Amino acid sequence: MENANVPILQVERITRYFGGLAAVKDVSFEVRKGQIFGFIGPNGAGKTTLFSMIAGALKPSSGRIRSWGRDITGVRPFKLIKLGIARTHQVVRPFREMTVLENVQVAAHFGKNAITSTAAARERAVKVLRSAGIDQLANYPASILSVGHQKRLEIARALATDPDLLLCDEICGGLTHSETLEMLQLLRRIRDHGTTVMYVEHDVKAITSVCDRIMVLNYGRKLAEGTPEHIQNDQAVIEAYLGTRATGKS
Amino acid sequence: MNASSVVTAAQRVAQWRSAALPWISLAALAALPFLLPSPNFVRLLFTTFLWVTASIAWNLLGGFAGQVSFGFAVFYGMGAYTTALLMNAGVHPIPAFMASAVTAALVSLIVGVPAFRLRGPYFAIATIGISEAVRVVMTNLRFTGGASGYRIVEHRPFRQLEHYYSALLLAAIAFAISALLVHAKFGLGLQAIRQDEDAAADLGVNPYTYKLAVHALAAALTGIAGGVFARYAAFIHPGGVFGFHTSVHILLMPVIGGIGTVWGPVLGGFVFGIVEEEIVASFPQVHLLIYGTLLILIILFEPGGILGGLGKLFRRFRGKR
Repeated sequence: MENANVPILQVERITRYFGGLAAVKDVSFEVRKGQIFGFIGPNGAGKTTLFSMIAGALKPSSGRIRSWGRDITGVRPFKLIKLGIARTHQVVRPFREMTVLENVQVAAHFGKNAITSTAAARERAVKVLRSAGIDQLANYPASILSVGHQKRLEIARALATDPDLLLCDEICGGLTHSETLEMLQLLRRIRDHGTTVMYVEHDVKAITSVCDRIMVLNYGRKLAEGTPEHIQNDQAVIEAYLGTRATGKS
Repeated sequence: MNASSVVTAAQRVAQWRSAALPWISLAALAALPFLLPSPNFVRLLFTTFLWVTASIAWNLLGGFAGQVSFGFAVFYGMGAYTTALLMNAGVHPIPAFMASAVTAALVSLIVGVPAFRLRGPYFAIATIGISEAVRVVMTNLRFTGGASGYRIVEHRPFRQLEHYYSALLLAAIAFAISALLVHAKFGLGLQAIRQDEDAAADLGVNPYTYKLAVHALAAALTGIAGGVFARYAAFIHPGGVFGFHTSVHILLMPVIGGIGTVWGPVLGGFVFGIVEEEIVASFPQVHLLIYGTLLILIILFEPGGILGGLGKLFRRFRGKR
């Protein structure tokens, strides 16, 4: 299944209409194994719509999504997990009445490898909690965690499913500066352990510092794609984010 | 640090205690008919065990998976009629009970396949409709005697203790399933569905098949309880086993005891089983009104039921010391 020439994620001319309005229009891109691929865009650019379609939460009006060449368009989330594609939520959704450990244990049980044994699932959960840096909170109820820790739990849960591709939705939203830096460090570690990451973020600085490749969306269309340096110097991107330069004629 | 060191010493003591309690209770209940050999008392406990079984079964679906059903009378009744028909055809009670489990589980799929497409209150409403429809059909079904009921003739001597122990064994099996399930993969999946169905699906849980599976398991247990009841009662009628009040009784017990817990439904089943007859005898016209009021009071003031209330008292007592 894994072939170096076939992208882990390939999106082809994907489009989604809400009523008559195209939230995402004809967007195509590829994510290669081992990358952190980011996409950014101003509010209303269609980031969340695009993300939801890839994560199987929303059906595209047209276009195809493939993973390792296999068509996964409209495949539902619990099946995507089995294919090695996991997501996190922008607004964290822990199982509040469970402990932190149990939260991650659920993911280990139902993840790609579908661990049946309780002991094995716990062991995997502890391992993942440690790599996410929240193993000391294992036996606390998930509801008492701070926002920063809940975001880490959200990532730990997704990681415990043993994904090949991790879809991260605005994981730095609401975090302090130092928490953001730690979170980005965590993303790099995840990539270095062999998981490909697709990362959506509002914050340009966060995304340019961590991504290998970036796509910019504006009004539902792809505006630019390239390395962080390329994106930062792209005239169209600067205009979309900062507006056009005043020419002096007022 | 490894996985086992996450478990603290205090938890280990608690684990030991929770492992011993069911065995002690089981031994005590098994010895009880010899300590108090009154047929009436034995009969009261017998029906209580059946209520406990149904209560535990309902809690698997309603408590763990969060799918509130007002339709468990369907499974109780189907189980009762299956055993009744088979025993009158000369089948031994044990295979008849097994057949009751299978029938009830199959019926649960017929109910669940459309009803679990609905979420939240719509599922609960759908179960009311289905349950009433089944009752009306059974009331008019010719070969089971319709509304006038159905009599079971068992060509074996009546031994009350045999009934007592079959009900006790059934309740013990139901408890074992519930207790083993709660921390296992299946149980965690169900609780994940209750707490956030979409987040559970995003971690690989298939909510639809999981709901169907637990519904079938709960139905099978309730169906056997219905079968054991039918054999003892030797007479069943749709207004009883399929009655809406049966569904309400089954739902009320776990709510009284503590919904979503392992011991809550057991506690609720015992409390209900022991006071139910008294209430029905004393207030034959308004006993459903009493249950309704009780249900509202619990949901308003102590959603955790008896177990939740005791837990609060215990913490307050410890806090004052």
